[in-house]
Amino acid sequence: MTNAIDMQAVNRRFGDAIALDAVDVTVPEGSICGLLGRNGAGKATMMSIIAGQDRPSSGRVEVLGQEPFENESVLAMLSFVRDNQRYPDDYRLHHVLRIAPDFAPHWSDEVAAELVDGFRVPARTPIKKFSRGQLSSVAIVLGLASRAPVTLLDEPYLGLDVTARALFHDMLLRDYAAHPRTIVLSTHLVQESEALFDRVVILDGGKVRVSSEADDVRDLAFTLSGAADVVQGLIARSTVLSTHTVAGLMSATVWGAVDDEARTRARDLGARIAPASLHELVAAIGEHDPAPADPAHDEQKGVRA
Amino acid sequence: MSAVISTVKLHLNRRETTFLVPLYITGMVAVFSVLISLVFWRSGSQPGSAEWIQGSQSNPGIVYALLSFLVYLGVSSVATTFPFALTLGATRRSFTVGTLLWAAITSAYVAAILAVLSVAERATDHWFVGFYVFDVHVLGAGDIGRLVTIVFLGVLTALTVGGVFASAWVRFGARGPQLIAAGVVIVLAAALIVLVPAAAGIAEAFQLWWLAVAALVAIALSSTGTWLLLRPAVVR
Repeated sequence: MTNAIDMQAVNRRFGDAIALDAVDVTVPEGSICGLLGRNGAGKATMMSIIAGQDRPSSGRVEVLGQEPFENESVLAMLSFVRDNQRYPDDYRLHHVLRIAPDFAPHWSDEVAAELVDGFRVPARTPIKKFSRGQLSSVAIVLGLASRAPVTLLDEPYLGLDVTARALFHDMLLRDYAAHPRTIVLSTHLVQESEALFDRVVILDGGKVRVSSEADDVRDLAFTLSGAADVVQGLIARSTVLSTHTVAGLMSATVWGAVDDEARTRARDLGARIAPASLHELVAAIGEHDPAPADPAHDEQKGVRA
Repeated sequence: MSAVISTVKLHLNRRETTFLVPLYITGMVAVFSVLISLVFWRSGSQPGSAEWIQGSQSNPGIVYALLSFLVYLGVSSVATTFPFALTLGATRRSFTVGTLLWAAITSAYVAAILAVLSVAERATDHWFVGFYVFDVHVLGAGDIGRLVTIVFLGVLTALTVGGVFASAWVRFGARGPQLIAAGVVIVLAAALIVLVPAAAGIAEAFQLWWLAVAALVAIALSSTGTWLLLRPAVVR
């Protein structure tokens, strides 16, 4: 399968701050990739570099086989609307809908009209006076109606009500099925979105902690819960991503696949083992402070913790 | 090339701001000029007299009124439009070229409007009552060729200078425009220090085309500066 996005050893520094650190990520054509991680993890920087709006300090980035920065032919195939997108002064919705097709060769007026109607985007209000949810709606209209072969959606849910989020999911899947493309979607609403993903990238502190097929994520970590002393004994030699203790009970998210021996031991000691959900994995990685000698830094089947 | 044209269309998408606001401002200046003329009329000055004509033609109100708006337009053509242009898929190169093309179109539009109004003013013997709004010294005093040159280069200078200040803001934040302003002041002060002893001779030899050359230099420097500042700029 051809990769729509290929990042190799990408670093991005802003002065002394490291935004991206040796990032290796590939996203196959025609997939929906969830880009997850805490605030400041590097998601927006990564998307910005993919979209040719920024350049890496070092490393190589290719989108559709070419470097995106200042590449007109690649940029015509890309859509990236920031979560804090700025619009020209005095812009209203009709300004956006009038100009966007000039830049997006695959633009669909029908998709735009359906989304504008569904989201109830105000037509007469200046965009600079829009609420957070209305700004997200405009960004979704731009992102989905462009039908760009590589579509980057940056926190598309911000401020959206539950009805609007359902409309977004429905429209995304319907239009994606009819017009397959590569979609990278960053979000903090992991549980609500994970059904969309066929690939997942988790960033933390500018590093890629997980880059995996969505189906494989359940094998990456497990949760162990039970009496605190029992759980502490069971996790003693494991790479623990996070722990939570309440009234003598402990829950731990542990890196790695659980084997039969560990499962048997846990059952004998009255502890409960379950695969970590994507939500639990993202939250645990966000809490985890990896030590330099952390064995989970080692690559395992293309997956890094 | 297509992204350049799309960028021009992106700027022209603000139709009211580009095409109508200059008309609103021109209309306002005309009204104010007429009101001022009425005050002079009521105070005893006679329309058509040599004193009246000299006083009226010395009114540069139209230039001051348009200048501040045009610099704002130049600033906003980069400050808020550049991030959106990148989002739509413009390259920095096509944005810079497209913005310069749009500025030239806008300059030609404003020059054409003022030329038509100036011709109309002279054809109606200054609106039938001797009021001077466009037939003024600063716009060539009835010389249409001179008016078109002055307005086209003046508007283009205002737009591109506004653009380079905005580019500095996009690139360096608040420090950017401050550094450019400081640099311009230092260069002008240095030029003044060098040239002041010869000021009388320079004033005697002054030719109007010097201003045209100065405008062309300012346009070239501003456009090049815009490109150099926007190319490495990071939009966040």
